[in-house]
Amino acid sequence: MTDKKKLGNFTSENAPEYEDVLQCMRCGFCLPTCPTFSLTGRERSSPRGRVALARAVSEGKLEFTEAVKEEAFFCLDCRACTTACPSGVRAGEVMEICRSQAHQFFPLKHVSKSFREFVLQKMLPNPGLLETSMLPARLYQKLGIQWLVRHSQLLKLGPEWVDKAERMIPELHPPLRPQLADVIPAEGEQRGRVAFFLGCIMTLMYPEVSRQTVRVLTHQGFEVVTPKEQKCCGAPHLTEGDRDTTKLIAQHNLDLFMALDVDAIVTDCAGCGAALKEYEELLEEAGEHDKLATFRGKIKDVSEFLAEQGLRTEDLKPVEKIVTYHEPCHLCHAQGISKQPRELIKAIPGIVFREMEEASWCCGSAATFSLKYTTESQQILDRKLENVQATGAELLVTANPGCHLQLAWGLKQAGLKQEVVHITELLGMAVSG
Amino acid sequence: MISDTAIQHLIDKLGKENVITAAEDLLVLGYDSTPGLHATPDLVVYPTNSEQVQSVMQVARDYKVPITPRGSGTGLSGGSIPVDGGIVICLSKMNKILEIDEENLTATCQAGVVTLDLFNAVAAKGLFYPPDPGSQKISTLGGNVMEDAGGLRGLKYGVTRDYVMALKCVLPDGSLLSTGGKSVKDVAGYAFKDLLVGSEGTLAIITEITVKLIPPPQDKRTFLAYFDDIRIAGEAVSKIIAAKIIPSTMEIMDKATINCVEDYVKIGLPREMAALLLIEVDGHPAMVTEEAEGVERILKEVGAAEVHIAKDAEEAASLAAARRTALSALARVSPTTLLEDATVPRSMLAETFALIERLTKKYALTVGTFGHAGDGNLHPTVLCDERDADEMKRAHAFYDELYEQVLAWGGTVSGEHGIGIAKKKYLARQIGPGGVAVMKRIKQAFDPEGILNPGKIFTDGQE
Ligand SMILES: Cc1cc2nc3c(=O)[nH]c(=O)nc-3n(C[C@H](O)[C@H](O)[C@H](O)COP(=O)(O)OP(=O)(O)OC[C@H]3O[C@@H](n4cnc5c(N)ncnc54)[C@H](O)[C@@H]3O)c2cc1C
Ligand code: SF4
Ligand code: SF4
Repeated sequence: MTDKKKLGNFTSENAPEYEDVLQCMRCGFCLPTCPTFSLTGRERSSPRGRVALARAVSEGKLEFTEAVKEEAFFCLDCRACTTACPSGVRAGEVMEICRSQAHQFFPLKHVSKSFREFVLQKMLPNPGLLETSMLPARLYQKLGIQWLVRHSQLLKLGPEWVDKAERMIPELHPPLRPQLADVIPAEGEQRGRVAFFLGCIMTLMYPEVSRQTVRVLTHQGFEVVTPKEQKCCGAPHLTEGDRDTTKLIAQHNLDLFMALDVDAIVTDCAGCGAALKEYEELLEEAGEHDKLATFRGKIKDVSEFLAEQGLRTEDLKPVEKIVTYHEPCHLCHAQGISKQPRELIKAIPGIVFREMEEASWCCGSAATFSLKYTTESQQILDRKLENVQATGAELLVTANPGCHLQLAWGLKQAGLKQEVVHITELLGMAVSG
Repeated sequence: MISDTAIQHLIDKLGKENVITAAEDLLVLGYDSTPGLHATPDLVVYPTNSEQVQSVMQVARDYKVPITPRGSGTGLSGGSIPVDGGIVICLSKMNKILEIDEENLTATCQAGVVTLDLFNAVAAKGLFYPPDPGSQKISTLGGNVMEDAGGLRGLKYGVTRDYVMALKCVLPDGSLLSTGGKSVKDVAGYAFKDLLVGSEGTLAIITEITVKLIPPPQDKRTFLAYFDDIRIAGEAVSKIIAAKIIPSTMEIMDKATINCVEDYVKIGLPREMAALLLIEVDGHPAMVTEEAEGVERILKEVGAAEVHIAKDAEEAASLAAARRTALSALARVSPTTLLEDATVPRSMLAETFALIERLTKKYALTVGTFGHAGDGNLHPTVLCDERDADEMKRAHAFYDELYEQVLAWGGTVSGEHGIGIAKKKYLARQIGPGGVAVMKRIKQAFDPEGILNPGKIFTDGQE
């Protein structure tokens, strides 16, 4: 993305590339996969419509209006359209860039602006601060909750969302990051050495999940290095349209991890993985092409990594459970990782795996709150829960904290019995000891 | 412009949420999948039942406002583009399947039902609705009927027309017309139904469609054949048909298309081959075996480089799905994809490929060709950039010359995408001034004021 020349009615800072919007041939293949189009039936809330709006702005046929801003933020950024598009158009990304434009065209009012800046520029880049901070700030994360936050501003909602959000939060354990040793040795015959990228939300809200991730990695013969100085992956900043802070954070993480002598950089958060894999494009202008390409090659989601290395199944205990799998958007659509988690699940002895309908359909993330989009948001989640229910599974496996939170909340609300587990928790059950 | 009273009238009938006037909405409802075409309507309505369609038509009639029907906007000739502004009427919210009649083997649905949704709904009852345009996962049945859409199974099972049994529609004067029915025979008066199929939304707005269903084939076999020379692939198609074998599918992709599709689907298509044919034979198991042997023998005889058989239904489905992405995938490599719809008698396929190759060189263009080879229906697609005026000129010259020859061979300028805006100038060349004059008199009889989907099919001079 060049930030230089002015394109139509976009500002010159962080504007979409004209080529990227021209690429859409308007075939409509993406329409049936877009949750917001499915909800509203409105062309402008579809990937094809959103790209057309961006094209109109870049051709000077439309100002960057409130409605363009609204579409940029209404987009769930689930990237289902990227997977569906044979022409290689990335509508979700174009909208992400439009969010950055939206902040330039519609600067926030003082209070919300300083709150947003505080969270994005002070808290998230600084894990220590984040870990000792108050809950609302912890929430402001790559959870999908930001979807709500965007709407709370857009829809001029009061702060009651924080309240409801708090009720969604699982029981909190102490953050994991300070507890993890810098280097944890491999068990059995060592197969390699990996760095662990521990996402903010994982350390804060799902420390026990990430503990299992590390346990499974070491059990599988990998030495795990967790550098304490790592910062947030930058996804919340990018999603919010703060590209400048994202670049600073990205550079820091890049330098930090590239100084380590590791075979791979593993994460158990699909959102982080997707963001890390995009550093190459984000930092393109800095010119460190080889370094960026090597970094990109080392980033692995934990499922991707384990499937690639091959699971050592000799001493896995049977797990007698019926399970189904929900694909996080940031894993299947943003990273194209779809087969691997299923392979791992099926490799665990005792498991009965039942595929659900529409496994890769967005779970609606934070859209459960009964605020403005009550019906629409509930519909996204209901559709998912119905599909889960139809499988008769006991465990619902997923691989991203945003989905985890959303699904657990949804199941509880609906009085359903299924338990949500991260894929490494499931693997953890099979690891003896 | 549309008066406020007219708008208020529409809001009263359809509800505020179904009458759209925001500039951003209007902007994205004035295109379809045809490159380079766009126009902005003054107003968009989303009726949810027939009565509302009728109300909208009456408003258009009373206020003399142009009105353009739209399904999902996947048309490839610009049919749903509101060239004179006015009202765009989107049928996409009329998406209910009203009945699947297992005794009469018919399905009745609203015009906005998505093709694949109907296919799946009838399949769940053990029935089969064959027409499957590449766009099936989003195109509407109304759009399919209005363009008489074909698909991958056209060769054996025919096109949309062959399945339409009855239509309910609203005429430009605001009255209702119901034509056809569930009886398999019907010769009462003029066959309006047949006239309406393929009329590109210029004669009436379809609200309800009854289609014929058939039992699904019991068995099928899917082949993928590779060729070093595309002309050999053309020859294979002609020979298979000459051997009195009618596969359900016989689709072709050339090298450029293979590569673009492979970039997207990543299923190991042969990037270095000049062409591939996707062939499927289906029916009774005994017949499938016999026809499969015949196909295999002919492929070997003509000199296919390799012949593969899909190992299961899943692999066969993934090959068909890959083929359906051809057009969109070609759009990966260039900003503009100009696609055409030339159709020739099948015995002329090899010559047509040779002609396309020659013209590609002559006009110095990049062309990807794919299509329903078994129907003689090819989509030579120029991969270009609409910002390059010279290249666009060469692209148009390419098509002019191609069509001249296609018509000389007794072919047609449009096998399935319609005339719309994009191919107006070729129509008279194909059917002659006499034919155009009769068509216009028909249009006049249905729509004397010329308010329904103006600017389509006929060039201004013809109008
Ligand atoms: C990737 C791709 C692949 C395709 N593959 C094929 C293919 O294999 N075979 C094929 O034949 N076509 C194909 N098409 C073309 C297109 O999808 C078909 O013409 C389809 O039937 C259009 O349906 P739609 O709902 O999008 O109609 P639209 O594009 O919205 O409209 C098409 C025409 O029908 C009119 N119309 C729509 N609904 C109504 C109604 N209810 N009443 C009256 N008029 C109406 C419109 O005014 C317009 O003239 C393809 C297109 C794409 C983009
Ligand atoms: S974004 Fe891709 S799939 Fe969607 S309309 Fe454009 S080209 Fe087609
Ligand atoms: S990212 Fe998701 S919500 Fe946004 S346009 Fe694409 S499919 Fe729709």
